[in-house]
Amino acid sequence: MIDILPLLLTQALLAAVPILLASLGEILTERSGVVNIGLEGIMLLGALMGPLAVDYLHNRAGLHLPDTWWPLVAMLAAALTGALIGLLHGYISAYLAGDQIISGVAINLFAAGAVAYGIQAYWGVAGYKQVPEWAKTDPTWVAVFAFVVAGVMWYILFKSRLGIIIRACGEDPESAFNMGVDVNKVRLLATVIGAALAALAGAYLSIAYLSVVTKELSAGRGFIALANVVFANWNPALAVAGAFIFGFFDALSYWLQTLNLARYEITRMIPYIATLLIVAGVIGRAKPPKAVGKAFRRE
Amino acid sequence: MRRLALSLLNTGLALFLAFVLGAIAMWISGYDPLLSYKSMLLTPLSDLTYLFSALAFSAPILLTGLTFAVGLKAGLFNIGAEGQTYMGALGAVAAAYLTRDVSALPLAAFLGVAFAVAWSAIPALLKIWRGVNEVVGTIMMNWVAYWLVIMAVSTIFANPSQPEESVKMPEAARLTPLVAGTDLTLAVPLAYLTAVLIYVFLRYSVWGYRISISGQNPTVAKAYGIRPEQAVLVAFGIGALTAGLAGVLQVVARPPSYSLARNLANVYGLGFDGITAAMLGRGHPIGVLLASVFLGILQEGARHMQIEVGTPFEFIRVIQGLLILFLALQMLRKI
Repeated sequence: MIDILPLLLTQALLAAVPILLASLGEILTERSGVVNIGLEGIMLLGALMGPLAVDYLHNRAGLHLPDTWWPLVAMLAAALTGALIGLLHGYISAYLAGDQIISGVAINLFAAGAVAYGIQAYWGVAGYKQVPEWAKTDPTWVAVFAFVVAGVMWYILFKSRLGIIIRACGEDPESAFNMGVDVNKVRLLATVIGAALAALAGAYLSIAYLSVVTKELSAGRGFIALANVVFANWNPALAVAGAFIFGFFDALSYWLQTLNLARYEITRMIPYIATLLIVAGVIGRAKPPKAVGKAFRRE
Repeated sequence: MRRLALSLLNTGLALFLAFVLGAIAMWISGYDPLLSYKSMLLTPLSDLTYLFSALAFSAPILLTGLTFAVGLKAGLFNIGAEGQTYMGALGAVAAAYLTRDVSALPLAAFLGVAFAVAWSAIPALLKIWRGVNEVVGTIMMNWVAYWLVIMAVSTIFANPSQPEESVKMPEAARLTPLVAGTDLTLAVPLAYLTAVLIYVFLRYSVWGYRISISGQNPTVAKAYGIRPEQAVLVAFGIGALTAGLAGVLQVVARPPSYSLARNLANVYGLGFDGITAAMLGRGHPIGVLLASVFLGILQEGARHMQIEVGTPFEFIRVIQGLLILFLALQMLRKI
């Protein structure tokens, strides 16, 4: 039992990365006043578009690059896809004052369809595609990247002037506006960056962590990230701890599977049940940004 | 009148744009959009068997759509229909396992609905007691239901002679086609009747009124002596009734298998189709009914499209997502 612990903790760390990246994105977005429940879908699109873009450039467009560059290109393609979806969601939420939840639901539905369709249309296989060796990367550097993002985001949100502006847009947009802040522009940019991070989480799943593209690859992680945002009380530093806890249950689920103590269906339920329990346990003290989810209109 | 016209215009515009963008996506991925749309939209209408099949598809979509629509009325984003449908189907399979005669039918309805209601009670109570957001709560329950039902269908309720499905409904307890050789069973009129009942309930009953007021403004509801938590519970409960029924009917009234597929293929995604139906129908039960017929036609049509033109079936989900995005835009604000 003792000797398995370091392995389990390493696995938990790797499982925490996608949850952390997506939660950090959502924290930034919600701190600016926009809620994006389309994380799950954006993750899924990132997981598809990373491998698909490099496959296209490498095999069909015949682009020659050093092998170590391909994973970076995949990450970039995923981030761009995410940013594009974020642009759409941010525009709907900030400038058009549309319903943010409905737009998020639409993103999830669209992504589920687009990924299933994309795998079939591009590779001609139904719902499952192995990522080639040359497009894969070591998950460790993405993990390091995620921790750096957490630190930088914590610093920006709580220690810089920019952070005060972002948080003001989410807490009291009226005052922010009176101070000369372009509230909707801040919200749009925060949503774009947040969505790009969620898409990176997806690319991590497909090219670093699980090495496949499937139509259910994200498996609820986008929603677990949403739960983690609440758990972390919208604080990037706490999100690291939260992601690790959620990641731990994910890793535990796979570890128990290898022990053959129970049917794998039972172990696969663990992350979801743990999420419900954790969220139910902490919710009392969570304090969301006051104006989150509400469109800002100048009088 | 103006409001109805405006919402019809917005819906029409969203449909049009979703299909245009969809056509571009098809064209980029190398399929013929015109031929695809032709076989998707017209083939189901060209033959009575196909049309009845489309109606059979519309029934469960309508029932899960009502789950989301009733939730919306109470100000909830209840996306738990997916998991509750699995639980409803599980109840029906349990009934088929327990009894081998006609009594399996009422037992299936009872168990299926009871399982679904119990399943929705968890996120509902967590929301009321602990303030857990219902989107996160219901999604987690969907995933737990997914693995739970897959396990049940592959173990105790497995069909020894057909490993890909669960035990079948006993023949006496099946709702067989109303028109021989088609998929049209009692499930279709039953689902449509449910929509009318829900409409009457929301419009004319005290609880319907309480749900609407709580959804529009919880503070006002409190001032009227309505407890919004109770309205949340009732809305979740009714949603579970219809979603559970959808699951039951997919087992007892769906020829030819009358069972639950081991990979849940005959219930998978119904909850999410229902969200599309509810959005497209503007949350109004009769609107949801019309939307579900349209989505049923798409479902049936997509099968023909895949066979005739080769465009992947999954394409309709792309269209559905685009459609809701455009509906969320509310492009026209006034006319």
